[in-house]
Amino acid sequence: MEPILECRDLTKKYGSNYALYNLNLSLERGQIVGLLGPNGSGKTTLIKLANSLLRPTEGQILINGTEPGVETKKIVSYLPDRNYLNRHMRVDEVIDYYNTFYDNFSMDRAARMMDSLDIDRHARLSSLSKGTLEKVQLILVMSREAQLYILDEPIGGVDPAARDYILQTILTNYDENATVLISTHLISDIENVLDHVVFLQEGQLILSSSVDEIRTQYGKSVDTLFREVFKC
Amino acid sequence: MLGKLLKFDLKHGLKIFLLLHGILIIISLLGRFLFLDQLNFNEPDAALVSSVALFASAIIFLFVAVCFCTWLLIAFRFYRNLFTGEGYLTWTLPASSVQHLWSKILSGSILLLLDCIIESACILLLVTGSNVTEAYSVIASDVNSELGMSLSTFALILFVIMLISGPVSVIQTYFCIVIGQLFPAHRVLGAVAAYFISSFVIQILSFGLQIVTGLFPEYVLIGQTSTSDQVGTYLFTTMGYSTVMMIVIAVLQYLVIHYIMKKKINLL
Repeated sequence: MEPILECRDLTKKYGSNYALYNLNLSLERGQIVGLLGPNGSGKTTLIKLANSLLRPTEGQILINGTEPGVETKKIVSYLPDRNYLNRHMRVDEVIDYYNTFYDNFSMDRAARMMDSLDIDRHARLSSLSKGTLEKVQLILVMSREAQLYILDEPIGGVDPAARDYILQTILTNYDENATVLISTHLISDIENVLDHVVFLQEGQLILSSSVDEIRTQYGKSVDTLFREVFKC
Repeated sequence: MLGKLLKFDLKHGLKIFLLLHGILIIISLLGRFLFLDQLNFNEPDAALVSSVALFASAIIFLFVAVCFCTWLLIAFRFYRNLFTGEGYLTWTLPASSVQHLWSKILSGSILLLLDCIIESACILLLVTGSNVTEAYSVIASDVNSELGMSLSTFALILFVIMLISGPVSVIQTYFCIVIGQLFPAHRVLGAVAAYFISSFVIQILSFGLQIVTGLFPEYVLIGQTSTSDQVGTYLFTTMGYSTVMMIVIAVLQYLVIHYIMKKKINLL
């Protein structure tokens, strides 16, 4: 079976700066992958390339064996690291929007999650707190039956209780054949749910390994290893 | 997919559009029945002239303001939906960049065309009272001879040109915004600069076209020897050339927008 995400000599330049340089990476299906690295390591650029928000300067990025485009957008569910919804819309309007455009959007799943959080579906997004808005965004993304979920900083900026809810939502709502790629700085919070980690530094791959291998080979947690590798 | 995109693009500014044009229609109705219908053109005096001039100025300002607000709605929708945080959702919808572009062009054009139709209807409503038409009939022959055609034909041709210029101005607006987003740190400033530079280039081209087609010297002559036919002929020949030139420029701008949206998008 083809990897869900594959990078072949992937390079992205902004002007004369390399955001990614000759990156070779392959992610298998059915795992939760942590995309880790300090600021400016190329995480967001990789995510943007996977979502067809940028074009590679050189090399290739393949999603399910295909270059990012209309077909791959149908199977990738993406949570950006910022508010990406029109805040004048109501919650039910946003649900309708997702349901209109994504064939794999599950209204039942979205309704179940909204109810469990007591979110008023007639409320305008602008009236929601930051934490609730992030939960709504996550619910929308996780209500799709996608093959690849790409979550950019899904637990950044929310309180620890909300983090638990978000991680629980991720764990309970993805298909076991799907892959979840999570980019975050809060490694200790998500370490227990990760199967695999990818370390990026200055646009290059430093490490791609399963969490179990890290623990047996280095005798350290992912968080500790990260702090050692990226020590300032 | 294009239909779905179009539906949401049209739905976006609909409430504001309806509100603005509702106000315009109500003011036009009030202006017609409470002001224009009360005027007596058989006994003109200084007060009549000044009140009509004041009313006309206010109405023209209102019409221009509504048209400008409609244009702003279209420009904001394009910018916010594609190049701010919302772009992260828009660009990851399972639609191609061409579908996004056409959805925006069609929705923008539909709103501008509706604006054009409603404003024209309001003008008709304002000037078709019996006292106004009777007053106009006194000077109709002079106006017709100046224009080289009846006023209604002249208005109809202007209306058709406005309909054509709607999509053209939508494309020009999108062109400026798309050029602006090539400057990530100064996107709005870039768009404004693109507007002024492209307008300047269009003016130069227009000037060149007038010289090449021999229309420019006639323009100078009109002031000296204007005959009835010259004004109408000159106006429509110039507008004809301008319209063709604007369509050609719009096609070129469309190609640039298409290229940038396909290859050069980088959301902040």
